[in-house]
Amino acid sequence: MPAPRDDNLMERFDEPALRRFGARHAIAAVFLAALILILIDGHSVLKAGEEMNPGPGRTIVEAVGRPTSLIAESIPLAGVVHDATAFLNPDVALSGPGFDAAAGGATGEVGEVTPAAFNPATIGGPPQAKRRLGELLVTGDSMSEPLDSDLAGDLIPKGVRVVQDPHIGTGISTTFIVNWAQLSAAQVRADHPNAVVIFIGANDGFPMNAPDGRSVSCCSAQWAAIYANRVRQMANTYRQGGAAHVYWLTLPTPRDPARARISRVVNAAIAVGVAPWAAQVSVINTVPIFTPGGVYRDAMTIDGVPTIVRQSDGIHLNDAGSELLAQVVLAAIRHNFKY
Amino acid sequence: MLFPTIQFAIFFPLVLAGSWLLMPHPRAWKPFITAASYVFYGAAGWTFCILLAGVTLWNQLAAVALARTENERRRSLIVATAIVLDLGALAVFKYYSFFVQQWASVFAHVGLGAPLPLLTIALPVGISFYTFQAISYVIDVKRRHIAPASLIDFAVYLSFFPHLVAGPIVRSREFLPQLAKPRDPRHVAVGSGLSLIALGIIKKVVISDFLAAKLVDPVFAVPQAYKAPDILLAAYGYAAQIYCDFSGYTDMAIGLALLLGFVLPQNFRSPYRATGFRDFWRRWHMSLSRFIRDDLFIPLGGSRGGALLTYRNLMITMVLVGLWHGAAWTFVLWGTYHGIGLVAEHAIGGRLKLPGWLRWLVTFHLVVFGWILFRATSLQNFWEFVSRLGVPGVPTLWSATVLAAIAVTIGFQLLPALPLQRLQFRIERLHPAVLGAGLAVVIALAGATVSSQGVPPFIYFRF
Repeated sequence: MPAPRDDNLMERFDEPALRRFGARHAIAAVFLAALILILIDGHSVLKAGEEMNPGPGRTIVEAVGRPTSLIAESIPLAGVVHDATAFLNPDVALSGPGFDAAAGGATGEVGEVTPAAFNPATIGGPPQAKRRLGELLVTGDSMSEPLDSDLAGDLIPKGVRVVQDPHIGTGISTTFIVNWAQLSAAQVRADHPNAVVIFIGANDGFPMNAPDGRSVSCCSAQWAAIYANRVRQMANTYRQGGAAHVYWLTLPTPRDPARARISRVVNAAIAVGVAPWAAQVSVINTVPIFTPGGVYRDAMTIDGVPTIVRQSDGIHLNDAGSELLAQVVLAAIRHNFKY
Repeated sequence: MLFPTIQFAIFFPLVLAGSWLLMPHPRAWKPFITAASYVFYGAAGWTFCILLAGVTLWNQLAAVALARTENERRRSLIVATAIVLDLGALAVFKYYSFFVQQWASVFAHVGLGAPLPLLTIALPVGISFYTFQAISYVIDVKRRHIAPASLIDFAVYLSFFPHLVAGPIVRSREFLPQLAKPRDPRHVAVGSGLSLIALGIIKKVVISDFLAAKLVDPVFAVPQAYKAPDILLAAYGYAAQIYCDFSGYTDMAIGLALLLGFVLPQNFRSPYRATGFRDFWRRWHMSLSRFIRDDLFIPLGGSRGGALLTYRNLMITMVLVGLWHGAAWTFVLWGTYHGIGLVAEHAIGGRLKLPGWLRWLVTFHLVVFGWILFRATSLQNFWEFVSRLGVPGVPTLWSATVLAAIAVTIGFQLLPALPLQRLQFRIERLHPAVLGAGLAVVIALAGATVSSQGVPPFIYFRF
């Protein structure tokens, strides 16, 4: 059988007008491009490596990144190019103290317990008066998607302004991409939300610095303490001295046992971190909802229908899971606000 | 591994140099490029490599078995077995969760439990592309268009990293002949390769990701928050975004292959210039259209059996094209919508005489409307989006840069081809050193527009 006539245009690079070069020209051109990029942005390689998960890929990228970083540092071109192209960068410039100021926390001082540490419901006190919900900030890492859209879809038609500000690939234990201490302050400065929903921790588990400068690996009690202090700093920022209510969501247990271990410590640190303001910071525990007993599951029954609630990565919630969580969060919000 | 990343920027120069160094020695080059391609693929998850190797092995076994028998019944059985295995892999990894969830919902409504375990299964990147290529290989051998390749040639063809994860879908008869003898190191289309890579980066990083972040993603995430002007712009914006995203990837894939000495088929030809659905599919994702036409539509009977059978074949083909894109009702309906468009066009034939500009205008808007279905996260999201088109209001997301990005993307496709080709030829004739420096500048400028969260994955990686 003859081959059919094809309209694949495979011959389009056979045009006589096209100039051909040797393979060595191709290699030289690609290496020239790489060299120029090293000269003007050699730091990026090491930074990219530091953002990668541990493994051979990261090791190779970091091994390449160290010398390229040194080259870029020794030539002032990088700074000039960075300044010249800064106007193109879509990121909001962050400033102010980062986590370092609070990283250690264990100063030995005994902090004063305030009334804000007590949720009225737990001590049989009168319920707090419901305030009008004007603006809600939904933030976090990739866990906060599509929860942010689900909440926005429900609240925007009811007149609530919803700011969706997820930061994919970020974590509280890593400041390579963004420093959440600075970011949370910037978010509050920009929007002054009177409620904040934060769902973060999927990327955490990075080593953090202790007060004495030592690097502490996950997931010892010392790591948990540093993490809890960072959570505390962020929660304090978001609660704006009591002007806002914060809903901090714990992580549902992930499928991977190594990640499950990290999420267990992250969840424990969240509980400890927000403890001084139980009246203003509510912890919404997702573990009993999605992974009772800390046991991972792909599916659960919702309204009588067995439903897949997790994404295939075994970390994130899928649309159905997120919609369910949004209803839980909205119920919590309705406890404190009217809209 | 994504093309526009630091990891790939380290990987590619090394592979390029190694490839040309070993090119005169095919017995060394072929294992080298296969290993490099598996490293590229394994960066997304090394377990996926096992599946790729499995697909390679059973399709090669089928091709060899085909060559050993002249019995047509046996040959058909061999092809059917290979296709069932290929589609079986696709069904398990891509469609299992979707169908089991649908069945579970149906069973729950009649008081029964889920018939199969509700599991989420990780989708191996590019599985839809390489299984189709494997199927096309076995079918080409069955039809005697090609002889079975050696195992290593077939492994190179299937895993060749420039086209591995998102195409273009390369027919075996287009690629395997290029492996017959080493590529000539004196005649490399360096200019075309480098300029295509630069163009792909601009399309993906500068235009597609910008439109996604500033317009499309926010509006599709919460359509209820926006009114008609923003909704309308988001629909046009997505048309521009998906073209830049997918054709940007294809440009990079073709450019990288050219630098390695290989030619991949054309995948796009100004699709928004189309003046009908049929014309659109001859310009959009052309390598998929060819595969579907040759290996599905024509075997079903094509247009040989009268009008009704042709319509049936068109509908079956397009519904499956929709399903190929993803396991969701939105994709099924998108395919059905295009099927209806093709059937209507076929039925009307030449009876309706419309001026060219009007045919273009109607086609363009019908295609854009179809993209809303394609982009919507669910049918509910689609209805919310479409219903907001009727809510008047002031634009909030219209900015000069957003409008310019859409206008440039669509406008360039409407310009006469010849002046653009001349400009392209002029650029491609520049000395490689100039083009290499130019590529660095493009990468640096494009990189400066990337947010701290990095380059989002290509849309077609999900398929």
